[in-house]
Amino acid sequence: MLYLLFILFPISMAATCFVLRKYTELIIVAAVGTIFTQAFFLAQIPLDDLTRILGIILSLNALNRLFIFLFLSIGALAFIVSWHLPHGENFIPVTLLMLALNCTILLLQDPFLQLLLLLSASLTAVLAMVDLPTGAGALVGTRVIATAIKYLILMIIAGMLIYLSFVLMDIYQPGETRGQFPLTRFILALLTTGFALRFALIPFQTWLNDLVEDGSPMVTALVISIFQITSLFVLVLALQRFPTILIENPFGLTLLRIGGIVTSVSAGLLTLSQASLRRTLAYLLIYNSGMVFYGLVSISEIGLMGAMFELFNQTLAIMLLFVSLALLEFPDGRAPGIERHDLLRRWPVAGLGFISGGLALLGLPPFSGYASKMLIYQEAAQRSWLEFLPLLLATALAGLGLARICQQKLLGASATDDDLLGTRQTALVFQELLPPTESLAERNLKAEPTSTAILTLLLLGACLVIGLYPQPLLAMISDVIQSLTFVQAL
Amino acid sequence: MIDPIWPLLGLTLSAGAILLLQDWRFTFPALLLNYLSLTVFLGQRLFTADQPLDYWTNSTIIAVKLMTGIAVTAILTITALMFSQDFGLEELDEFGLAELRRAARAAQRLRASRPFRLSDYTIPFWALLLALLATFALVSIYPVATSPLVDFAWYWLGLTGLFTLAVAADLRKVGLGLLLCLSSIDLLYTAVVNAPNASGVGVMALALLSFLTLSLALAVAYLSALLYDRLKTLELSELYNQRT
Repeated sequence: MLYLLFILFPISMAATCFVLRKYTELIIVAAVGTIFTQAFFLAQIPLDDLTRILGIILSLNALNRLFIFLFLSIGALAFIVSWHLPHGENFIPVTLLMLALNCTILLLQDPFLQLLLLLSASLTAVLAMVDLPTGAGALVGTRVIATAIKYLILMIIAGMLIYLSFVLMDIYQPGETRGQFPLTRFILALLTTGFALRFALIPFQTWLNDLVEDGSPMVTALVISIFQITSLFVLVLALQRFPTILIENPFGLTLLRIGGIVTSVSAGLLTLSQASLRRTLAYLLIYNSGMVFYGLVSISEIGLMGAMFELFNQTLAIMLLFVSLALLEFPDGRAPGIERHDLLRRWPVAGLGFISGGLALLGLPPFSGYASKMLIYQEAAQRSWLEFLPLLLATALAGLGLARICQQKLLGASATDDDLLGTRQTALVFQELLPPTESLAERNLKAEPTSTAILTLLLLGACLVIGLYPQPLLAMISDVIQSLTFVQAL
Repeated sequence: MIDPIWPLLGLTLSAGAILLLQDWRFTFPALLLNYLSLTVFLGQRLFTADQPLDYWTNSTIIAVKLMTGIAVTAILTITALMFSQDFGLEELDEFGLAELRRAARAAQRLRASRPFRLSDYTIPFWALLLALLATFALVSIYPVATSPLVDFAWYWLGLTGLFTLAVAADLRKVGLGLLLCLSSIDLLYTAVVNAPNASGVGVMALALLSFLTLSLALAVAYLSALLYDRLKTLELSELYNQRT
């Protein structure tokens, strides 16, 4: 009963919020209430207790519960952020639906069902991408539509490849070869390509670049962070059920590790040539995907622990980065269309959040991401210096890219004379539109939205606390990793 | 019992027509024929399997597949028929309305400058041929199912779907390509996982596959409507020319 409530309640609330979507504040309150109710239901579900509903086996372990709590927390944060930073008209109902589907995926034990739900959730994400705020008198941008179409196509192709690999796993007989290649090699190739598309590994990264560049910040943050975690869980469950593909393909695993390294180094290199905050952020995320993938395909206790913990930290860092980005792009009363270099002075909390989020993503102390990156480095160093040094190089390159964009956009000098001229011209043109009580100076000194600034600081605090005290989370992840049979088998 | 060659022929011809033709008035009926053939083909496989499921389960699976196919075609056809109407114009500001007028003029010019040309079918034709060759090659090089007919059917659907995506010039065709890809894995799952050495089909997985197919049709219809509202055409070249 609890499982059913947990799965169906947010779906029914999503339908309610869709009906009431014009009343933005009301549905934000309802959605945050739903999240708290979900958290309550989750706390009541017993751990490691297999339950069968309509022939489907559901189960919850400590790690799944941790990640579902994380989903619910970032969902609540996204709803609160949308109070001040307008998002799409259907943002709340679609996000509730996405959260419901993704939480259900973590409860399921059947890889076919998990994958089909993951694909369904990806379709709902497409709807969130092409959404406009209530009453917006504008048209949806063609870039956004192109991004949504690209995402849709790539996710369906990824799903098709993964599904095919699951079917082949299902009919596999030990020692069997079909055609000229061993079946396990074919399965591993399909599985890897499918998940490389989902993780946006190079050369399958284009959807992530476009999404970060054109999507609204909260939708992008949720799509990237939540879907990467659920994808990882689907992959781990598949490997758990079918460890043979790993045992019979040691060379394949080496190639996959090289793929992770190539992704990280290439993305680190590409961060150096980006001209916008969003593009740089996109390549930082791809760099991190490469690191997570490296940890995952190392198929060792340390590597997997690093990958799982890094995904947790990445989610916090992504939320921090995108909330900060949304604030940095918030109209600040100054003349539009002029490139700004002083965003840290103008929006100090958002600027600080962006820099800290970037550092957390790079895994620099004392931010979260430090412990998980250290585990991934440790795994690489244990294997070979030829794997460890490129990963370090990737981090150094990504760090330089981050420093470069921060220097260009955040840490530059204050508004120039040209900016002021632009402001005065704008003010002269629109003078009559300004309320008589509102002076130009007041418009220039508009402060950051308080609630969003507080959320940014909270996220920053969470990144610091986890960075300084990662042991409880690491212990929990370690317990679950030790129970994975495919890790023991290798 | 129907000879499996006939539904297979229906699958082959309809998927080929979807890849080759461009006008939705032909491709959407071809999609319906594809779903009908798929249903008959699967029905034939399910009822003659070595370890057949009970009569009601088989009938339910077939009925669900049939309804899904009809619903998907209906969703796409209704969307295509509704394109001549404008919605939500009252919410747009002057800039938005002006942009729409400009897009309508550009689409009109595009239509006027592109009469029927046989050369438009060259690439789809070669893609069709390539898909056919690849299907025959894969069936012999890499058989997955116990029956070569099933292998031919799912490889053909998957490859025509992928090639349709590759040669698609408009969003409708992209949608058709994606639906063919989904049909391919649907067929593979239903026919192969039901084999004696496999775990057996899950009713919930089949239901979710149908739900996913319907959701995909809805998503394609929604994106098509959105694109048409914006550019007055579904041409992908226009979308990438006017990326703003």
